[in-house]
Amino acid sequence: MASQRRRRGESLFIRYIILVSWGLFCLAPVVWFLSIGFRPRTEIITPQPIYWPTFSLDAWHMIWSDWPMAQYLRNSVLAIIGSVVIDLILAIPAAYALARYRFRGREDIGFYILSTRMMAPAIVAIPIFFLFRNMGLLDTIWALMLIYAAINLSVVTWIIRSYMMDIPTELEDAARTDGASDLRILWEIIIPAILPGIITAAVIAMIFAINEFLFTLLIASTPNAYTLSVALANFTGGSDGVIYNAIALVAFLAFVPVFLVVVAIQKHLSRGLTLGAVKG
Amino acid sequence: MARIELTGVQKNWGAVWGVRDVNLDIADEELVVFLGPSGCGKTTTMRMIAGLEDPSEGEIRMDGEVMNDVDARDRDVAMVFQGYALYPNMTIYENIRFPLRMRAVPKAEQDRLVREAADMVELGEFLMRKPAALSGGQRQRAALARAIVRQPQVFLMDEPLSNLDAKLRQAMRVQIKHLQRQLRITTVYVTHDQIEAMTLADRIVVMEGGSIQQIGTPDQIYADPANTFVAGFIGSPPMNLIPGHTSGGVFTAPGIELKDIIVTGERAVTLGVRPEDCHVEPGAADMHGAVYGVEPTGDVTYLSLRVGPHNFEVKAHRDYRANLDQPETVAFDSDRLYFFDTETGDRIR
Repeated sequence: MASQRRRRGESLFIRYIILVSWGLFCLAPVVWFLSIGFRPRTEIITPQPIYWPTFSLDAWHMIWSDWPMAQYLRNSVLAIIGSVVIDLILAIPAAYALARYRFRGREDIGFYILSTRMMAPAIVAIPIFFLFRNMGLLDTIWALMLIYAAINLSVVTWIIRSYMMDIPTELEDAARTDGASDLRILWEIIIPAILPGIITAAVIAMIFAINEFLFTLLIASTPNAYTLSVALANFTGGSDGVIYNAIALVAFLAFVPVFLVVVAIQKHLSRGLTLGAVKG
Repeated sequence: MARIELTGVQKNWGAVWGVRDVNLDIADEELVVFLGPSGCGKTTTMRMIAGLEDPSEGEIRMDGEVMNDVDARDRDVAMVFQGYALYPNMTIYENIRFPLRMRAVPKAEQDRLVREAADMVELGEFLMRKPAALSGGQRQRAALARAIVRQPQVFLMDEPLSNLDAKLRQAMRVQIKHLQRQLRITTVYVTHDQIEAMTLADRIVVMEGGSIQQIGTPDQIYADPANTFVAGFIGSPPMNLIPGHTSGGVFTAPGIELKDIIVTGERAVTLGVRPEDCHVEPGAADMHGAVYGVEPTGDVTYLSLRVGPHNFEVKAHRDYRANLDQPETVAFDSDRLYFFDTETGDRIR
């Protein structure tokens, strides 16, 4: 008995060691760019390692005073929120139709929607550039909203569809005999029932959107439409060389909101990412 | 408060048949039970009455009006589902109110009706809870309240009790029957449980393979089955069905010999005997068998006899006990014997 108890204690101990090491491993980059962000620039480019760097807010002040960082942040937030709203407005009815209505080619259409995600973005980059130029949308956050929405629409549709398919059809039959129209059923029964799925899809879309770089670089040519991800690139060229501590801080700014949201909904997130492969 | 007529109703999905040629006339205020094994077409027939499925052929009328093209939400039927189908995001109060809201009943009226319906199923104190916070029986009562709240023309109940445990099922059965009599609403009830069918129904519609096998009162279905399917489906334990042969008014099967039976000529015939129409008697001539198992239940003892290649169920006196393989002789009530054509399964009268 006693030895068994000790063995269990040991295995628990080993488990903790492994988990803690893994946690530190994952956290290391965050600590690393925080430590770079808050040290003076001279300490970054010395060849000797510095174990106890000097704390400095130089970079912090620089990104806010020398660059229109508030504008970048605002662009990012507006473009992302706008794109997620567009995605949800389009994806929820589409997902409902794909989950519930029986029609010829339903699976093909579903797959076609998903397949838009499989294409290398660079293939369509030039056509999209001309498209937005002709529409007069270059260098606007409207263009960013549209392109982010287009990129994420397939994934958002599929996640929401997988949640909808898990709802018993009895619920809709009941609402129908109770006198509800299809739109009412969608609005009052289905959407509240799959709210976790909708939030998950929205967060996944947010994460993709905040990391989007290629199309943003293509569309944005002035601070008018620069987002955080493209702003990062501003610190690499120019007469000042690569400004590592500013890069680290901007990356951190982009990382924090996503991190907080993911922590808040992590329970739902793992399900959303399996795209309905495992039905609950 | 409606009469429902089904005329030549069929349902198929391509080559897959759900329901074949159903003709049925359900009277106003009647409680009709569709009874049959799973996949017999009973739920599909009910869903067609609800308007959730379109018939491939035939007509469905309510009070004489053809309903085929009327949408489910305009049919004024209320349905209770096996899985309760309560809206999980709404409280019980909001659930019960939902059909009233959809039909634009005045607000003050809504509140009164919801409370009335909830009181009828004794749920008054749970109105502010979400469905997840209720037990199975309470959820089923909430579903029932949602159905009765707007006093529909027709109630449709799709196996409403099969998710409940046996004790609760019995109590809910009585409650459903009471409510139906009290509200006097035409009701169609679907079940695979013959006890539910027998206890609830004004008339039972026995279905199999998408077709109606027999329509009748519980007594008729029990005492006068139309074929081997109905005979074997109703009763617990069910009727014993023993294939044999007749010749010159004598039925023979391994271990069984019956004289002066109603079937004439020489043909393959299946004998049907209910377990309660058999009597274990020393020296009886109708059947010889060996004891296969004895199951005392308290008020009655079930005896299983090995007769030729078949097992034969007998309802014996509650004191009856026997040893394994002990030989027994059994007499039948001669006026309670049923004969069926072995080939078609139809009753020979």
